[in-house]
Amino acid sequence: MNKNVSQTKFPVYIARSRQTTEVNKTGSWRVMCPEYEEKTSPCSAACPAGEDIALIQMFTTRGLFKKAWEKILMENPFPAVCGRVCYHPCETVCNRKQFDEPVAINSIERFLSDTADKNGYRPSFEKPETKKEKIAIIGAGPAGLSAAWFLSRMGYPCDIFEEKSEPGGILRWGIPPYRLPAGVLQGEIDLIAAAGAEIHCNRPVSALFLTDIKKKYNAVFMGCGHGQSESLNIEGENLAVDGLNFLSELRQGKTRRLHGRVVVLGGGNTAVDVARSVLRLGGTPLVIYRRRREDMPAFPQDVNMALEEGIELLELYGPAKIEKNNKDYLLTLQKMHVAGLEDGKRAAIEPDVGKTKKISAQMVVKAIGAGPAETWHKPPVAGKDILHLSNAILSFDNAGFPVIFGGDLASEIESVVHAVASGKHAAIALDILFNKGRNKITKKMEICSVGNGSSFSFETYLNRNHRPRRPEIVSYEQINTDYFSKAQRITVQRLPKEEAINSFAETALNIPENFAVQEAARCFNCGICTQCDNCFIFCPDVAVIHDKSKQGRHINYDYCKGCGLCVAECPRSAMTLKGEHQ
Amino acid sequence: MKQVLEGSQAVAEAVRLARVKVISAYPITPQTHIVEFLSDICATGRLKAKYIHVESEHSAMAALIGAAAAGVRTFTASSSQGLALMHELLHWTAGARLPVVMAEVNRALGAPWNVWTEQTDSLAQRDTGWIQLYCENSQEALDTTIQAFYLAELVNLPVMIVLDAFYLSHTYEPVDLPDQDQVDQFLPGFTPKFQMDTKNPCAFNQLSPPNVLMEMRYNMQLAMEHTIKNFPDMEDKFFEIFGRRYGAVEPVMCDDADIILVTSGTVTSTSRNIIQKLRDQGEKVGLLKIKMFRPFPVEEIRRILGRADKVAVVDRNFSFGASGIFAQEIRAAISGMPGCPAVFGYIAGLGGRDITFDTLQEIYRLTKKDEKPKLDSHWMELREVDYEIECC
Repeated sequence: MNKNVSQTKFPVYIARSRQTTEVNKTGSWRVMCPEYEEKTSPCSAACPAGEDIALIQMFTTRGLFKKAWEKILMENPFPAVCGRVCYHPCETVCNRKQFDEPVAINSIERFLSDTADKNGYRPSFEKPETKKEKIAIIGAGPAGLSAAWFLSRMGYPCDIFEEKSEPGGILRWGIPPYRLPAGVLQGEIDLIAAAGAEIHCNRPVSALFLTDIKKKYNAVFMGCGHGQSESLNIEGENLAVDGLNFLSELRQGKTRRLHGRVVVLGGGNTAVDVARSVLRLGGTPLVIYRRRREDMPAFPQDVNMALEEGIELLELYGPAKIEKNNKDYLLTLQKMHVAGLEDGKRAAIEPDVGKTKKISAQMVVKAIGAGPAETWHKPPVAGKDILHLSNAILSFDNAGFPVIFGGDLASEIESVVHAVASGKHAAIALDILFNKGRNKITKKMEICSVGNGSSFSFETYLNRNHRPRRPEIVSYEQINTDYFSKAQRITVQRLPKEEAINSFAETALNIPENFAVQEAARCFNCGICTQCDNCFIFCPDVAVIHDKSKQGRHINYDYCKGCGLCVAECPRSAMTLKGEHQ
Repeated sequence: MKQVLEGSQAVAEAVRLARVKVISAYPITPQTHIVEFLSDICATGRLKAKYIHVESEHSAMAALIGAAAAGVRTFTASSSQGLALMHELLHWTAGARLPVVMAEVNRALGAPWNVWTEQTDSLAQRDTGWIQLYCENSQEALDTTIQAFYLAELVNLPVMIVLDAFYLSHTYEPVDLPDQDQVDQFLPGFTPKFQMDTKNPCAFNQLSPPNVLMEMRYNMQLAMEHTIKNFPDMEDKFFEIFGRRYGAVEPVMCDDADIILVTSGTVTSTSRNIIQKLRDQGEKVGLLKIKMFRPFPVEEIRRILGRADKVAVVDRNFSFGASGIFAQEIRAAISGMPGCPAVFGYIAGLGGRDITFDTLQEIYRLTKKDEKPKLDSHWMELREVDYEIECC
């Protein structure tokens, strides 16, 4: 303290010290200890492909579209496809839902893929060393193509055998163009092919192939999907058109204009796609489902769009008989009633004996589900030579030769993103198998799981299992909502109904850049550090020190008193307060 | 140039002319107009200042403490509950010797809610170490605001300019608005005696043990005394440029007065008329206006009041369990003087009640009637409260 000797007449005596306060090592007072610790966002853990969604939103907010797109590609080769047809389980668990509305993650994925396409982005991934093991992949559907993508990115030569004339599987033949234009799909298939896999079309394989394969390949991935429609087991079933065939012919341009009532039997995605296609071909679709609307296995948003387009739905009726009646068909329907719940989820039904109804139709389409086309497509059910991975089954039943069943053959939920997951899990499992041996697969895979769940991160696996963040999933309560203001979720613009139902043009329109950025900015970025610097600003001990590390800063524990302000003021729980010596 | 300005506007224009660099305030009736005018002045670029919106008066003063410590001219305005909320930081500002200037519009403190004038809010802050200057009219408010920066920077103490709610803050009067050149001449740019400087780092107001604190407090008192001593010199400089002076206190016809009325704020204007009227009737009455309450110009007050027989203090405030606060201060100031005049205390105009010609005439009559005051405080014009009906 020294007396202020000023130039003016009146001297002011104040407390002033030039001694550094650094001698007071306030860190010795600490009983709680803050740490930078990134955590897992609920969306990433809920995404079967384990996309790093919180980070993707951060990049998008900052206009780093290529980086964001590459982040998706790291875990999923189909951003354009999934940006359109994914049922986005990520949005269901979005923490923002408890604040206002979930972030439109799916729409942002669509935007990023469109932007990549428009600008001709190519991923700048490192080129791997070519491995000696070769993999055969059966089926160029989403599962097989994904397996090829992840295997190629680790340097494994892959041959994909596709029975149809073009690759894509259900994406090409089962999803109508108003949801997924062929060009969009082709773009992503080209990207996968560019990574190294050879796609051989018009190459159906038989059971015999599996025995020959061992000479040329070190493993096989079975991604043949469900090629065989299930049977209704009713009289006159042969009079009904098969739903998957109907959609396939539509894709091939073979379908003619329709008129009059077309009955669609079933409640899955195929049924909904058939009905919406029928509408566009001039017919009047009537979807008949034996359970209730809420029990339909089709993704709810697709059911909603179908209903918005004016498609009628008849619930709690099952087909009993189909008869030919001149040029038309006569359908006998059995009334059903709800008799409890199956697995506590969908309705269990029983027929209302004696209550039937007859309706006539110009055409009947059955779309009640499908199963493996051949018995050898079916994964083995049990046995010691089987390893259950999430969304894939690895079998050594074929005399120790590794066969991995993926896609619809092995996934609990039949969706594109589950197919992607199965391809990825298969690729990682094979890499572990070839390098570390069979016994290490389960343990090694666990380390790269996202939030300890059933999704796996390819990026974590590539980074030698160095987890970028803690598996703990950030809850809404861990978000400091003071730093966020309510904002409306974007609405995806769609073609006007009249225009949409008269063509197969894509119904969902492009998302403008400013909307996408605005939407991405709504993201809480749960659990990840966005370098907002709140910790630095609030630290009363100036104990947050900027540095050149990836984190950008560290805590000087000589002075951190452990007050926890930094943790409390971190908007997104990218810091944790732990007990000292914990 | 003469302009018709609202009292609040006069203050705001003075702040502009003083080239204040940081303003931080929170609105509260009846002070709001001042900060509204200022935010407008800042927004339109008439004043190049940082206007900081804050969430409370406590934060407003905290922001200015930071800004003033950084070495710039600062201003805020508040009133009543807002001022009370600032209380802790008022001590800090003074102790830290930061020349912050505040306009404080007198308003009664709740409960119950009342937005009208009463001096209890500013007087409750008398021990915080702030200089307090009470104003009579818009011109004085404008001039005092400019002077406040001069004084604050001279002695490194914060200054509170005090205005009556509505009678002054919301009343339009002709005001001589000075030119910027004139004000610049009186009040050049602020050169702080100390400031935060990253090139010369030091800690301010760190833990100060008993062996130094008392001297720091004494230094504050020296600064207060220095203020009284230098006030006439400051007014001389001001008079030279602007042609106006007010005095720390202003005696009116006190030289031969038997009874002197003591007032502060706008009631002084009414009193000027009443004493003229009483003089015309042959009454030997005078008026002492107190502008400077802190520091309290004891010497001058003793010199002026010492000659009178009786002093009638009009207090628009009250210290519960004691008396009117100006009356207390006057009693303390003149006590022990030989031939010390009797001090009659009157409480009038609380919560914005009018102090009329009649009120003041009655105060004079009551003072003249009795030899000695019967009460410490005589509450004027109390209404009959029907306790049966109105009380619980």
